[in-house]
Amino acid sequence: MSERTSNRIFDIVNITFVTLFVIFCLAPFVHTIAVSLSSNRAITSGEVTLWPVELNWDAYAKVFSDHSMLQSLGFTVVLTVATTILCMLFTIAAAYPLTKSNLKGRKFFLYLIIVTMFFSGGIIPEYLLIRDLHMINTVWALILPGLVSPFNLIILISFFKNIPPSLEESAEIDGSSHLNTLLRIVLPLSLPVMATLALFYAVGRWNGFQDALMYVTNPEIYPLQLKLFQMVQNNMVNELTQMEGASRAALTPEALKAATVIFATVPILCVYPWLQKYFVSGVMLGAVKG
Amino acid sequence: MTKAKATYLNPTGEINNRRSSYMKRYWQLYALLSLPIIYFLIFRYGPMYGVQIAFKDFNLFQGINGSEWIGLDAFREVFAMNDFYTTLRNTFMLNLLDLIVSFPAPIILAIMLYEIRSGWFKKFSQTILYIPHFISWVIIGGIVYQLFGTQSGMINEVLTSMGFEAVPFLTEKNSWLITYLFTGVWQSAGWGTILYLAALTGVNKELFEAADVDGATRLKKIWHITLPSIKPTIITLLILNLGKMVSIGFDRPYIIGNTAVREYSDVLSTFVYRIGLEAGQYTLATVVGLFQAVVGLVFIVGSNYISKKVTGDGIL
Amino acid sequence: MTGQTRRGVMKKAAGTVLSLMLGASLLAGCGSGDKEQAAGASGEAGGSKERVTLKVEVFDRGNSPSPHTITNNWLTQYVQKEFGDKNNIDVEFVPVQRSEETTKLNVLMASASDVPDIVFVYDSSVFYRYAQQGGLTDVGELLKEHGTNLTKYLGDETLKFGQLEGKQFAIPGKRAITARYNSYIRQDWLDKLGMKAPKTTEELYETLKAFKEKDPAGLGDKNIPMGLALAPSGYETLIYSFIKPVKGDLTYSQRYEMPLHEGFKEAMQFMNKLYNEGLVSKDFSLDEEEEQLTKDFQNGNVGFMTEDVGQILYADGVMDNLRKNVPDSKVAAIDTLTNPNADNKYTKSRYGSNGMYIMIPKSSKRSVEAVKYLDWMASGNNLLTMSTGVEGENYVMEDGIPVIKEDATQEVKDRVYNGGDMAILANGKAIGDQEMNEKAWTAGFPKQNQELMRESIAVANTDTIGPIVFNRPIEAEAKYGTALNDKLKVIIVQSTMAKPDQFEAVYEREMQDFMNIGGSELKKELEAALQETN
Repeated sequence: MSERTSNRIFDIVNITFVTLFVIFCLAPFVHTIAVSLSSNRAITSGEVTLWPVELNWDAYAKVFSDHSMLQSLGFTVVLTVATTILCMLFTIAAAYPLTKSNLKGRKFFLYLIIVTMFFSGGIIPEYLLIRDLHMINTVWALILPGLVSPFNLIILISFFKNIPPSLEESAEIDGSSHLNTLLRIVLPLSLPVMATLALFYAVGRWNGFQDALMYVTNPEIYPLQLKLFQMVQNNMVNELTQMEGASRAALTPEALKAATVIFATVPILCVYPWLQKYFVSGVMLGAVKG
Repeated sequence: MTKAKATYLNPTGEINNRRSSYMKRYWQLYALLSLPIIYFLIFRYGPMYGVQIAFKDFNLFQGINGSEWIGLDAFREVFAMNDFYTTLRNTFMLNLLDLIVSFPAPIILAIMLYEIRSGWFKKFSQTILYIPHFISWVIIGGIVYQLFGTQSGMINEVLTSMGFEAVPFLTEKNSWLITYLFTGVWQSAGWGTILYLAALTGVNKELFEAADVDGATRLKKIWHITLPSIKPTIITLLILNLGKMVSIGFDRPYIIGNTAVREYSDVLSTFVYRIGLEAGQYTLATVVGLFQAVVGLVFIVGSNYISKKVTGDGIL
Repeated sequence: MTGQTRRGVMKKAAGTVLSLMLGASLLAGCGSGDKEQAAGASGEAGGSKERVTLKVEVFDRGNSPSPHTITNNWLTQYVQKEFGDKNNIDVEFVPVQRSEETTKLNVLMASASDVPDIVFVYDSSVFYRYAQQGGLTDVGELLKEHGTNLTKYLGDETLKFGQLEGKQFAIPGKRAITARYNSYIRQDWLDKLGMKAPKTTEELYETLKAFKEKDPAGLGDKNIPMGLALAPSGYETLIYSFIKPVKGDLTYSQRYEMPLHEGFKEAMQFMNKLYNEGLVSKDFSLDEEEEQLTKDFQNGNVGFMTEDVGQILYADGVMDNLRKNVPDSKVAAIDTLTNPNADNKYTKSRYGSNGMYIMIPKSSKRSVEAVKYLDWMASGNNLLTMSTGVEGENYVMEDGIPVIKEDATQEVKDRVYNGGDMAILANGKAIGDQEMNEKAWTAGFPKQNQELMRESIAVANTDTIGPIVFNRPIEAEAKYGTALNDKLKVIIVQSTMAKPDQFEAVYEREMQDFMNIGGSELKKELEAALQETN
């Protein structure tokens, strides 16, 4: 078998496999879209799979006419951007010094941080802290408690460590300060991982709502996912609703739930393609040459 | 800071000088580090006094300080519960299976994506592959039931129409493990590729060119060039994963699991939810949490140690 | 680089921290300031007394129609105007997510200062725990002083649910209707087979077998003689038709106490038989939310099922969909499960006459105002207004029954979108005695389903068994309740799905487990408590 044919076979197998996986991943999303466009009868009768049945746009009309939904979307976008920026700043500030093996106390600080991956005070002390800092019902309660993820921090440290030390050393010989080296050399070389971590933080914030459950009672700063959670969870308390003597008719229709899922998911899905441009191969290589 | 400034102005004295030159070199790093450290002290260490709930008969209204000390009674109670051992075993088993199946999945997928030459297809498939990460488990649960149900699941409808017997994917515990792993891979593999793809951007293209000259096959190149270049990332993630061997997310086992396969699907997080949050027994929940924390810490430090010995890489 | 610039960097860094902290407190300040202002603006009729704020919990289900919000809507304004302003009180509603209520409530309780003055739960064990830990106000005296309307409205029978050792730690809401479960059968299937509706458990079994073997609707694989879900309306109804109540028409109140009854094993055996002979839904163990059951029933695949009263009869609900999907279908409400351990009566569970447990935390400084609020709600037309809206606009009275005006504008309808959650004193529409309430409830259903609804209620009210109320908390309930509840489901699923020859072993094993994880302690305590009441 010539090298060319084996190459071809490899490509075909590879692309077939990836395509299959893509279809797998896309199917539930398509299903959700189909549900959001179908009639309630068709949905509860189980007739909807990948194509809308009894097509209608009512659910979307309802989502988009809901002022609080749009307001929440706007708030969540701002919140996510602000959180991501702050998180990145703090994570970089922690990661860079901790890559310097001759920094005194480095191990101590690392352990200090790693311990927090495992030990936590539990929800009651955490709530009391937020209350004592007067952050209940403020956006700070949604930003500050998760400012640095030790997981992301360790990943960033491991990427920073992979930057050839020669680059930094040569800069330092030139009299560049640490801060300067970080800004001029380390960060530009780390764009792919920075983009990745920014995505992790952004997605984490976008998808998170548990903190809002605890710290926020003002509907004006409900993140979008909290509103989505309310809708989805609404139907999960079937038995309770019975007990309450409330009517099942009052529960959110499936189509509206699905439309809300799409409404709350599509914006964050758009972030990745945009970040992809930082995933350019050979960034490091160019720098070494330059 | 003041000290650094002072020594900078009077660079005299041997010891003073050495310290001053160290501080002169490193003060910026300490200044940088101080911000996140302050954060950790306030927001992570601040509430940590809550750990003592494990040693107290916690009364909501007396508060942590007002509650009575009970020593290790709660630990004895937890360690005497059968459910604790079952759920611990299941947690460990499911995590181990995930480590074998779900951990390599994104690595393989990332390499496959990296090997794709068509630019648009690469970008397109990457964008699609991470969609499942955004679909909440509640919704995935519904879809899983539609797919894998015994009587009305799509897969079984196909199987029975072809004359096969229906497979109880969700209600028989061993078949359920497959379903559990499948949903895990499906949900996280695409998302997991992102980090590896970021790492792959650092691969030196010249290495490939050199390999081409040597006439290496694609698989050989993957083995000798691509994989080694993401090795540090793999190791970092592996160590972090090992640290989580006794902790497990709540949603996946809870939603994919069901009463019929409780023997396997009941894990520490669902156990804690049951005794702790639902029944309000914070003391017991905290005991389990503390146990998980200690084991997790031992695992992460241990695996880091082994990794450093074996591969020279580690996270600490 | 000079010392100057370095200092600059440090200053900036310090500045960032400071501004972060400041920002936090500033924002916190803004948040609470806004609220005070808003509250202040709405109430102007200030008396000589200092104006106080009463905080009331409210369930948030995320279904507030625009422009309402959960904390500011027609009903909150109504409360402020009719109750707050007249008593110089600002009423502030604190939303709690419905599905997270207990978790959140625990945290709020622990914080003391943030807890609302009026909180509530449905779960009796949570109420007992709060009471036991000394976190609740004894409202006995307050009720006498400020709650005459309230006491009259609830009556002694309901109030008893909130008493522990002679102290009134909770004000129980009132349940409008105690009817709970009934059974439905496909009359058209029976007709096709020329069979009569089954009247006993044995006859039901024969009917189900006929449904399976003769497949009257020609469904093949899809045929489900009896629809079953792992939901109480399914298994609880079956189990209640086997167990012997411990005291007349009363028995232990908690679901997980069913295994402690004589006859429980027979119930499991019956379920095992039904399952192994293929008479019930194969995947019932997966269907805790009855989604699959609903789907199967409205697609016309189910011959018989037990359900919560009214569950399938709502407008555009299961029944209406079934008519669309299978136009010649006919459904009848029947009573068929006879209890061999209770004189072959059609025993089934009914709700206690109480609704949620409304509590005033001990840390509350507004307990007087809290009782006044509830008393206000119980007086005059307030409760009806809060649950149903304004007479003539939202509803009209016909024979003493409020009938919802279907032609009201959406805006008017939206006024009471969360009426059920705001009118915490009542579960459902409590306008008078049971019969009246049932009529009012039925009137809310679409015309084509009202006849079936009446039949359903009649079935659901036959031979019911209610909960015993002990005057002290059962400690084992608080301690083991959740674990046992979970175990109950395991017993049901494992026993039902076991191969017939393994039933005995599986059942014994699971029951042994049940007793070990708290069942035996619970049994002892319940029996002792039962002795005391006799």
